[in-house]
Amino acid sequence: MSTDVIDAPAPSSRDADYLARRELIQASARNTVKRRRISALVIRILFGICVVLVLIPLVALVYYVCKRGIDALSVAFFTQTPTPPGIPGGGISNSIVGTLIICGLAVLIAIPVGLLVALLLIERTGPIPTAIRFGADVLSGLPSILIGLFAYSVIVVHTHYSGWAASIALAVLMLPIMIRGDEEAMRTVPGDLWEAGLALGARQSRVVRSVVVRGSIPGLITANLLGLARAVGETAPLLFTTIFTTTFTLDPKQPMSAIPFVIFYDGTSAYKNLQEDAWGAAFVLMVGVLILSIIGRTVAARLTRKSR
Amino acid sequence: MVTTRQLLEKRRSSGSVGRGYAVLLWAAGGLFFVVVAAIIWGIVSQSAQAWGHFGISFLWTTTWDQNTDQLGAAVFIIGTLTVTAIAMVIGIPIGLAAAAFLTEMCPRRIATPLGIAIDLIAAVPSIVVGLWGLYVLQPIFLRDVEPFMQKIPVVKLAFKGEPLGASLFLAGFVLSIMIVPTMVALTRTALAGVSNLDREAAFALGATPWQVIRKVVIPGANSGIMAAATLALGRAVGETIAVTLLIGNGTTLGHPFSLLNPGGVLGSIIVLTFGESQQGSLYRSALMALAVILLVLTLIVNLGGRWIVRRNREFRLP
Repeated sequence: MSTDVIDAPAPSSRDADYLARRELIQASARNTVKRRRISALVIRILFGICVVLVLIPLVALVYYVCKRGIDALSVAFFTQTPTPPGIPGGGISNSIVGTLIICGLAVLIAIPVGLLVALLLIERTGPIPTAIRFGADVLSGLPSILIGLFAYSVIVVHTHYSGWAASIALAVLMLPIMIRGDEEAMRTVPGDLWEAGLALGARQSRVVRSVVVRGSIPGLITANLLGLARAVGETAPLLFTTIFTTTFTLDPKQPMSAIPFVIFYDGTSAYKNLQEDAWGAAFVLMVGVLILSIIGRTVAARLTRKSR
Repeated sequence: MVTTRQLLEKRRSSGSVGRGYAVLLWAAGGLFFVVVAAIIWGIVSQSAQAWGHFGISFLWTTTWDQNTDQLGAAVFIIGTLTVTAIAMVIGIPIGLAAAAFLTEMCPRRIATPLGIAIDLIAAVPSIVVGLWGLYVLQPIFLRDVEPFMQKIPVVKLAFKGEPLGASLFLAGFVLSIMIVPTMVALTRTALAGVSNLDREAAFALGATPWQVIRKVVIPGANSGIMAAATLALGRAVGETIAVTLLIGNGTTLGHPFSLLNPGGVLGSIIVLTFGESQQGSLYRSALMALAVILLVLTLIVNLGGRWIVRRNREFRLP
């Protein structure tokens, strides 16, 4: 944006009054330009400061968790169960396995249900799909603690604390994200492909399986990974469905520990070794979620490029 | 002309496989409604005892005494609103300004990686943010920030009392850190949707960058910004775990009321005392009543936000 003041050709009549006035106008124009430049600069600096303000805590957070977390890691951290308070050593293998099993089961429940509901949204029109879409949006805005309390009053009250109860809570938590993500991914399949499939005489279910689902696989992977990433780090639903234990179990019918528990309980304990465990757990959880998010974001781009 | 939909209608009725598939779809849809209904019923039914015992005055009773079962939600409602307000006051303007900088004033090859980084950090679990706040921010707040706030004229009126570190203020501040990435990511999308022609027209009329942002870009992205703020608000209202670690967990409003007081939000008191209460007790039911209030609050935020966004969109139509 060039804002230099243009010099007008001098007037033929040497009118001093005229020249003085021209000088005045030029000075004021120069002034305006200067003011505008300063204003643009000031606003740029102020807004830039806001970006820095946003970044400082975020970078500090990641840096500090990495620093404390890496110090706490060891082979034993991943392979052993916790030692009693005050006694160094041990690990959180039971919680790591617990998180893997709870989240694995949650995914096994949520992915098929989410995909089917998304197919319903794609294939049918009318009040029910609209209501489902609305319901999914509202559900994804609900605080996770409410999902935990729901799982408690519907499942735990009638049975007992267990890995299964936690899985169902997390499945409900991921479901709305997966439904809307799956739907969006499948909407990108062009109508021509549907029509081509149907024109070949294939049944609708066949077209959906072979054309629509297959054609949107990268998008589906992204949607489901992001749903999983959201659920992995949730603590509140676990608090009402399973128990923080130190025993190692592979049986989801039993109460199972999970990584967020280690952070929540050990992080607030007075014992040094437990605090160390909490930082290690925080690091593992953060890295896990970041990896899921990064894979989720890149896989779509990568696979789409390859299939072309 | 035969449309895809008509073809689908025809195909749908043919054969038992097609019918089985249709049944499967509707079953999944039905399951979804069952889940939504079960969430509401599960929470509301468990709170019936408390509503019956305390009545509607539960909402404005400021006593929360676990030993005598004199219970009221007001302390936690006020706590939730205070903490959310702090988070929004800090988070929304900074998030908006940062998003405006990234879309309007920054070369794309810097803006894109920064945007992705902020997106990724938004995914860090809230328990990790809470732990960091507890170990890193709390000592800083206790030593420097809270005494400093007490020295600023006018502002200091909200910061009476002894600085303790863990407080409504610290919880609200950390909450603002958690909502800013959401705000930045969604606002960026909204701002990027404003046509470049609008910007150029404004520059051609001699507008400064500030005027372009304030008079053209922000009004143009109004409904998107509203949606971003609503989502951030919803997240702030419902966030529990990080707040529980940082708010200091008081059960009174404190005399005088101050942002430096330890307090509680609806979720934090549930998390802290749920385990020690008996299933079927009045106290447990009162906790569920707090959950009902939280449910209603988030529904108001969500539905209100949708309504505002839709209304703005209608207004923008020429």
